This record gives sequence, structure tokens and C-alpha cells, in this order.
Amino acid sequence: MAQCPMCGKPVDEAAVRAATSQTAFGAREVDPAAGTRQFHDGQWYYFDRLECRTKFMAQFGTGRKP
Amino acid sequence: MDFGFTPEQEALRREVRAFIAQHVTAEVVAEMEGHNEGLLGVTPGTSRGPAVKELFRKISERGWLGISYPREYGGQGRDRITQYIVEEEFARANVNISTAGSSAPMILAAGSEEQKRHYIPRLIRGEFSFAQGFTEPRGGADLASLQCRAVHDGEDYVINGQKMFTSGAHYCTHLYLMARTDPGAPKHKGISVFLMRLDIPGITVRPLWTMQNDPRAPTRTTYGQSRTNEVFFDDVRVPKTALLGEENKGWYIGSTGLNLDRVGAARYLISVLRDEEIINWIKENRFDGYSPADDPAIRDKIAELWIEAQVCRLMTMRSMSIVEHGGRFAYEGAAEKVWAPEHGARSTETIAQMLGPYAQLLNGSPRAIEKGIFAHNVMGAFQSQINHGSVQVMRDQIARRGLDMPRARKASR
Repeated sequence: MAQCPMCGKPVDEAAVRAATSQTAFGAREVDPAAGTRQFHDGQWYYFDRLECRTKFMAQFGTGRKP
Repeated sequence: MDFGFTPEQEALRREVRAFIAQHVTAEVVAEMEGHNEGLLGVTPGTSRGPAVKELFRKISERGWLGISYPREYGGQGRDRITQYIVEEEFARANVNISTAGSSAPMILAAGSEEQKRHYIPRLIRGEFSFAQGFTEPRGGADLASLQCRAVHDGEDYVINGQKMFTSGAHYCTHLYLMARTDPGAPKHKGISVFLMRLDIPGITVRPLWTMQNDPRAPTRTTYGQSRTNEVFFDDVRVPKTALLGEENKGWYIGSTGLNLDRVGAARYLISVLRDEEIINWIKENRFDGYSPADDPAIRDKIAELWIEAQVCRLMTMRSMSIVEHGGRFAYEGAAEKVWAPEHGARSTETIAQMLGPYAQLLNGSPRAIEKGIFAHNVMGAFQSQINHGSVQVMRDQIARRGLDMPRARKASR
């Protein structure tokens, strides 16, 4: 389990990454309700919700270290 | 300078109009309803029906797909003005025949012979379609600050990272991706472009819904799509043959492709179709003896929109002419990308003012005008000023490339 850097809730990394459906052409699709993640300075961060990531971006988006 | 069309070009326009009147049937329109993917919908795996596929077969039979592409790559080897005329007429009928998108000009300019022969004919036929993996969450409009990494591993590259606002990733077959291959180089110089299928291991797509999604915008909504995507790359392995052009030269390849993609009737009509639609609507409707077409205030506004629309059209024609004649296409596409979406935003706001409160009702409301397209367009017009190069970035390009001004100082925080 990862921890959301903004709200502190646990985030199931496997669930965020797991493909739950397919696009029309067969690319793997994830469930948007399962949280999200971001590749930031060469590292993945996991978030409870899209709103948490938006706050993260507002705070650290321009290069400040989390 | 001649602004007219030749008799042959005028004849072609009449031929295309007659074809549309005969073949873009109610059945075709019904199949397109609910899908605003353009003609990319003919790609296998998407939900287009048999009527649209048959329409495409007939368009292809007449040689109207890939008109200006070389014959050896499946095109017709004709001029861009001819392409413009055909695209303009089809775009007016809400049928986008520019299936090749920005990927084909890029592949044609920078690809290996094998890449050109593999991709371009299939793009023209609509068998392949490329989503554009450029933007990242952190970079926003500063595309060159991208962080997605591609690292050599034997005969392959291994890619890790993330892209955002990847429109079309949920219905396209392929992706062209900008990734950083030299993190030590200045930011514009360490980037490469890769071509890859979207269904390879390690790629996952996550839906992102735009404000046009709730309720879903009707098909004829001009601006943007209700869904876009994030795309994640986890140890995605691609062969070295997936590299487009030279390693670390991707910035120049990508920006050339973006610039060339801004040339064309479909892109200009994104902003102008709404003007034509509202002009027709105003002429055709009367309300308890009141005709908006007789109202001096409305006539004044409509005339103003029409003048602005003609500027859009002339800018597009100029760009196509420059590209056709091999001229230096440095900033004209950027100027078009500022004028057209900003005109579109002014246009949708003016239309909303003219139509009053009913123009604010969205799709699904029983009193919505034309299924709410005017209301959905107001929202989408703002999006069009950001996607495919924001108007702020475009202005900066005009200042540097068109007016020879130095790079702007960074704003202090």
C-alpha cells in the first residue's frame, strides 16, 4: 500500500495500475475510480483521488520537492 | 496574387457537393451520432457502422483520401488547394476526411522509407490512427520540460512515464510519443519521437472527462471531445525501429508535425462552422412575427462574425499556399492557431447573447436549441484555445519566429 502524499489515505498501488477494461482497439484501460498516480521527477506517486493529485500539482508542479 | 479558384477546382467543388448530397444520407448521420471521433471511426475496433464504412469506401474510390500525399505512399499526388476544397466541403457536412492527422506529415518528413511505406498508406485508408502523446501533467504548455523517459536496453528502448490530455487514445490504434532520451542535454535537445501501437504491454489508458461530458455533447458540437485520457507507461519496450528520425532530434520533428497539422480546412472550419450554422438558423427561424434576421443588432453582430471568419479562411489559404510552394512556414500556422480559436470563443459568446437564455440549455433539455450545440460550444471554445498549442505559446512563437524577437524572460513568481 502506498500513502497519498496529500490526504494521507492508503492507496492500493495494484488497483490503481490494474487494467479493468479495454479501449476500442484493445489498449488496457484502468478504472478512474481507483485513484490515480503521477510520474514526478522519475518516481511514481499514488493519490487517493484526482483532486489530491491536482493539489499536489499546484504545490509541487513547478519543480519543488514533495 | 490570385484569390480565385481555377475552373477545374470549382468543378471539383460542385462534384464533391453533389456526392455529399447523394451519399451523406440520414443513415450515415445516424451512425455518426454520438461519436465525435471524426473519420478515425473507420479504424477497426471502433463503433462506426456499415453505412459510414461504405461512405468511406466510396470517398476512397474517388481518390479523395490523402489527396496531397505522394502516390508511392498511397496518396493522389495532387496539390494542397485541391485537398483544401475537398476537405472543406466534407467538413461542412460534419465528415472529417483528414484521417492522416499530424502523424503522416511528420512521418513523411522524418521517417525511414520502411516507416513511410508501413504507416502512411494505412493512415490515409483509415486503418491506423495516431493519438498524440506529448503533454504531461507537470509541463502543461511547456512541452519541452517533459519527463517521460526512454532508456536504451539492448536493441530496445524501455519507456516509463505518463502523458496527459491524450485525446483519441481510447479509439486510436497507435501513439506517437515524445520522450526524453538524454536527460543531461538542454531540454529541447534531449527528446526523441517514437511510434508504437497502443495495445502493447505496459501501456494503460485512464479516462479523463472534460466539462463537455455532462450531459454528453451532441455530435455536431465543434470544439474538442467530451473524453480525453491519461496514458501511463510502465517498462514499455519498443524496438529501435520505433524511433522516428534521429535520436534527440524529436523536438524539431514534433514541432514541425504540429505546425503542419495546423494547416488545413478542417482546422479552420472548427471555428467557422458555428458562424455558418447560426447564420442559417437566424435566417430560417421566426418567433411570433419576430424574425431575428430583420433585427439590426443581430445583423450587425452576424456581419462582424462573418468578417472575422473570412480572415480565418484567408489565413488558412495562405498557409496552404506557402506549404504547397515549399516556402518558409515559420509562424503562419501559429498566427492561425491564435486567430481561429479566439474567433471561435468570441463567436460562441456572441451567439449565446443573441439567442438569450435558451442558448444556455445543454443537450437533453427539452427546450434546448439544436440539442444544445450552442451551449456546448461555449464551453468547448475555451478548450480550443489551449489544446494543440495554447494561444499564449503561439503568440510567443510569432514573436520569436515571425518578428525575430529574443526569447521571453521567465516571469518571476
